[in-house]
Amino acid sequence: KTIKLWKISERDKRPEGYNLKEEDGRYRDPNTVTTLRVPVLRPMDLMVEASPRRVFANAHTYHINSISVNSDHETYLSADDLRINLWHLEITDRSFNIVDIKPANMEELTEVITAAEFHPDQCNTFVYSSSKGTIRLCDMRASALCDQHTKMFEEPEDPNNRSFFSEIISSISDVKFSHSGRYMMTRDYLSVKIWDLNMETRPVETYQVHEYLRSKLCSLYENDCIFDKFECCWNGNDSVVMTGSYNNFFRMFDRDYRQDVTFEASRENSKPRSVLKPRKISTGGKRKKDEISVDSLDFNKKILHTAWHPLDNIIAVATTNNLYIFQDKLN
Amino acid sequence: MECAFDAQNLISISLRKIQSSRTQRGGIKLHKNLLVTYVLRNARQCYMSKNALQTQRTPPYEDAATVRGRQEYLELTGSFTEFADDFYCNFAGVQSDTWHCGAHQSMAQHMELGHQDASACAMVSPSDSDLMVSEACWSCADKSSWELPISNTQVNQKTVLDLDTHVVTTVTNGYFHSDCCAQPKQPQAAAPCYSRKRKMDTSYYIVDPELYLPDFVPLSCKRMRSEDDDDDYLESDSEQLDSANISNLISVLGSGGLSEFVSWQQMDLEQIFGSQTICSKHTLLAGSGWTRAIEAF
Repeated sequence: KTIKLWKISERDKRPEGYNLKEEDGRYRDPNTVTTLRVPVLRPMDLMVEASPRRVFANAHTYHINSISVNSDHETYLSADDLRINLWHLEITDRSFNIVDIKPANMEELTEVITAAEFHPDQCNTFVYSSSKGTIRLCDMRASALCDQHTKMFEEPEDPNNRSFFSEIISSISDVKFSHSGRYMMTRDYLSVKIWDLNMETRPVETYQVHEYLRSKLCSLYENDCIFDKFECCWNGNDSVVMTGSYNNFFRMFDRDYRQDVTFEASRENSKPRSVLKPRKISTGGKRKKDEISVDSLDFNKKILHTAWHPLDNIIAVATTNNLYIFQDKLN
Repeated sequence: MECAFDAQNLISISLRKIQSSRTQRGGIKLHKNLLVTYVLRNARQCYMSKNALQTQRTPPYEDAATVRGRQEYLELTGSFTEFADDFYCNFAGVQSDTWHCGAHQSMAQHMELGHQDASACAMVSPSDSDLMVSEACWSCADKSSWELPISNTQVNQKTVLDLDTHVVTTVTNGYFHSDCCAQPKQPQAAAPCYSRKRKMDTSYYIVDPELYLPDFVPLSCKRMRSEDDDDDYLESDSEQLDSANISNLISVLGSGGLSEFVSWQQMDLEQIFGSQTICSKHTLLAGSGWTRAIEAF
């Protein structure tokens, strides 16, 4: 429930040759100094340092699920299950509440906020997604408290797909604006949806991430995997979207060419300079060579977090204990 | 939708999840528990719609008037706030970690509830040895009592399963009594105290068994809260920001509310338990010995 702003820096040199300090940092007695020298910078092993610069505390009652810095680079929002607060980066003791969906009577609680993000260009616009599969776009110019949304994006549920777990799998785990600001992408348990901000009735594109899991929802509920929150991301020019799956698989969907590919992030497959081989999951009865059957998927190996470099084709993919960075094949 | 057996399975799994989320690190996850509630609701709807077909075959245990009476009776008395925690849970109800399994004192009057309790307990976790009492204590059922309407005095009774000792005890109006067979022990001399709860951990939250157990007697939180122990007083934690807002999610379960659960349970008892007999065993739970307990109202 606390937000911290950290400064991350790299250090690859250190000064040596202080006059009043020993190398280990102890102070020397000034009386023992007989000559003076100028300290010099010597190279050292690269070190990454993180130091907290701001602490924004005591503004959230519930678990924070999102932070989003505004395009003005002065403010940011933080969202928990029921509220969204607006902060100024320099002011740590105060924030403004801009969304509050907590009902007067908690008995009437039916949905929570699952993610929120500022628009990439319009500093007055942000969206937040809910556990019911809806996305609300709000304009901070309209009122101080943005409980009334400007737009609400929702796709009607397909009655043929109704199951015990319909509510769970329609809960949105991540929402991301495209770099252009024209589209946004949402991730629910089984799919990725692309929405045009100008159309609220349904997404313009839907990509199935792992539809073969639909028949396994009961086991996934039992082992809690159904509650996993996958993220998604856009590439630099918004032509490809990426998200993670199980068995350390991650998927890319090319919007222009209508192609999708599955890769696996694992040490065996990731020798330096080797090219990632596309993977296939066999869903039918007959399993072809090199295909992986659904039953052999490891649900403990999941890729929840992925990121794409804003300009280059470099991606970062996080498995449980490892971070993989892949880049375009160098010609 | 899956068949009724899957629905039962899902219900017990969901209840277990809620139970275990109370002890998880990081505190209650509102989002996850909200989703679990939806699964419970869906499972219940499926189960009841399936049973609706079967009720035509089984003899009605209650007449319509009784059911109506029960519906009124089972109106929740209000929000349940029990936790001195800045976590809320949308499932109000039972104190800290007690699941209250129905209680009854006299056979004649409360058999019905007793049966419900037995089935409720079993329904909660058919395969969870943690929750199951190996020698469940319920009075032996007198079939004729099925037709008896629930009386208001039942609200003052509850039977509690202690998860640690697997002992069942009935608490009535602040006194501890033995279970079943209507043999009350000496009531505890202390001030009225219902099932105690241990000191609230900030990471715990309340689960309202009334939402999930088929039978329950609505109890106001105040009564269920231990009143004689400052340590157990839940509202005192200064960290708690939303204690006043913890309440149940009846609305999620539909407008039929709790009465549906009750009638559901009634019809199902015979199916599930057949001739399950209940032996009696009683014990007196002393003082602050409650650590974990399941109260089946």
